[in-house]
Amino acid sequence: MRIRVERTGGLAGIQVSNEIDADGLPSGLLQTARKIMEDKKPFSLKSAPKGSADHYIYKISVLDGDSQTVIECNQFNLGDDLRSLVRYVEKNSKRRKAN
Amino acid sequence: MFLKKDCRNIDRHSRLLRQKNPCCFIIPEYVNKKIVEKGTKKQKQQAWKNLILTEQLRGRRLVTGLMSSMFSVSNRLDRTIFDAEDSESLPGTIVRREGGKAKGGKTVTEAYDYSGSTYNFFRDIFDRNSIDTRGMKLDSTVHYGEDYNNAFWNGTQMVYGDGDGEIFQRFTKSIDVIGHELTHGVTQYEAALEYEGQAGALNESFSDVFGSLVKQFSLKQKVEKADWLIGKGLFTKKVKGIALRSMKEPGTAYNDPTIGKDPQPGHMKDYVDTTSDNGGVHINSGIPNRAFYLTATDLGGFAWEKAGRIWYIALTERLRERSNFQQAANSTYEVASTLFGKGSREQKAVRNAWEKVGIKVKSLK
Repeated sequence: MRIRVERTGGLAGIQVSNEIDADGLPSGLLQTARKIMEDKKPFSLKSAPKGSADHYIYKISVLDGDSQTVIECNQFNLGDDLRSLVRYVEKNSKRRKAN
Repeated sequence: MFLKKDCRNIDRHSRLLRQKNPCCFIIPEYVNKKIVEKGTKKQKQQAWKNLILTEQLRGRRLVTGLMSSMFSVSNRLDRTIFDAEDSESLPGTIVRREGGKAKGGKTVTEAYDYSGSTYNFFRDIFDRNSIDTRGMKLDSTVHYGEDYNNAFWNGTQMVYGDGDGEIFQRFTKSIDVIGHELTHGVTQYEAALEYEGQAGALNESFSDVFGSLVKQFSLKQKVEKADWLIGKGLFTKKVKGIALRSMKEPGTAYNDPTIGKDPQPGHMKDYVDTTSDNGGVHINSGIPNRAFYLTATDLGGFAWEKAGRIWYIALTERLRERSNFQQAANSTYEVASTLFGKGSREQKAVRNAWEKVGIKVKSLK
């Protein structure tokens, strides 16, 4: 299983993509990733507070063989579990790539 | 009570009102404003009704909740700086209040000073009393997050990260960034441009325009001395780039192996059709940015005096939530005619600028 976090938006508008292998994920984060995969409900949570601007937008993909589940959200509605997963992937991915 | 939805009928409504009430504005606006500040409850209510009516007849937009805020007008700058201490909790701990001693280091001082500069710019040039025209407090949180490479407006306050020291330095370093974020608040209370597609790119562009003007005003720079860069000095020395964006030459601000190349277009033929970044709001803003730069440099002098005024009136009195680039071009063209005359040098500068970025203005009349 692999987890990819694509981030766009922000004041600079720079797009960043980070990806890691789920092996070695702390158990809590592995559970979060599995839950995303098991729910198999790709959903979008893009609404942001009225008037807000320059916030980050995230596309979180969990890939397991031929299966893929994608969540889109912004920094305001990320939630604690997803935020922890995103931060872990951003810090621990071996390669940072700008799209 | 007039509601925001009635704004679309203002032109027809105002014509009818003028026909029925040709002499209803014997009391000047400044007198009504004084009554709002100092009068009794009943006097304040009537004065607000008068002000709403006069704003309608000038074609200006209403702000919902006007009546609920009528007792909370302040005419003074009121800044508070908070410290999030590397967390993502807002607003954080208060570290400096309005008039308080300078402390907390460079970041706190920059957030304090530059938000003051932005307030003063809007007040001195456009007679605007803060973000909402009613003296809204300016709250800023610094030291947000860990290695946080961003600054944002969350609908009620500004928030600044310190950068990771690899790509970015602290985000309070550039006065135009603080002007940019505060202008998002102004846009929220005026045109309320939706943060998606062309409306979102206009939202971004107005923030770059007035962010740049705040910087130019603070340095008393005429158009030829201005650098027309947004976020100059934010990148570390490790990055091959001079700024986040260039209004003069979109697409040239940076080209770096880690963060990529500046993707901004400067012409409609290069418009980027994407779903990322809410439809490329930070990308396609390059087109209206360049239109402003061309207008301002064609006219010369201080950019805020003519081009800035045209753009401000377009933002506050013409554009709507879903306005697109064509509508922005048409509106600025018409505003230039209203301010400076039909066929004036100023109006021609606006038309030529938009044409150079690939948009032919269409007169609304």
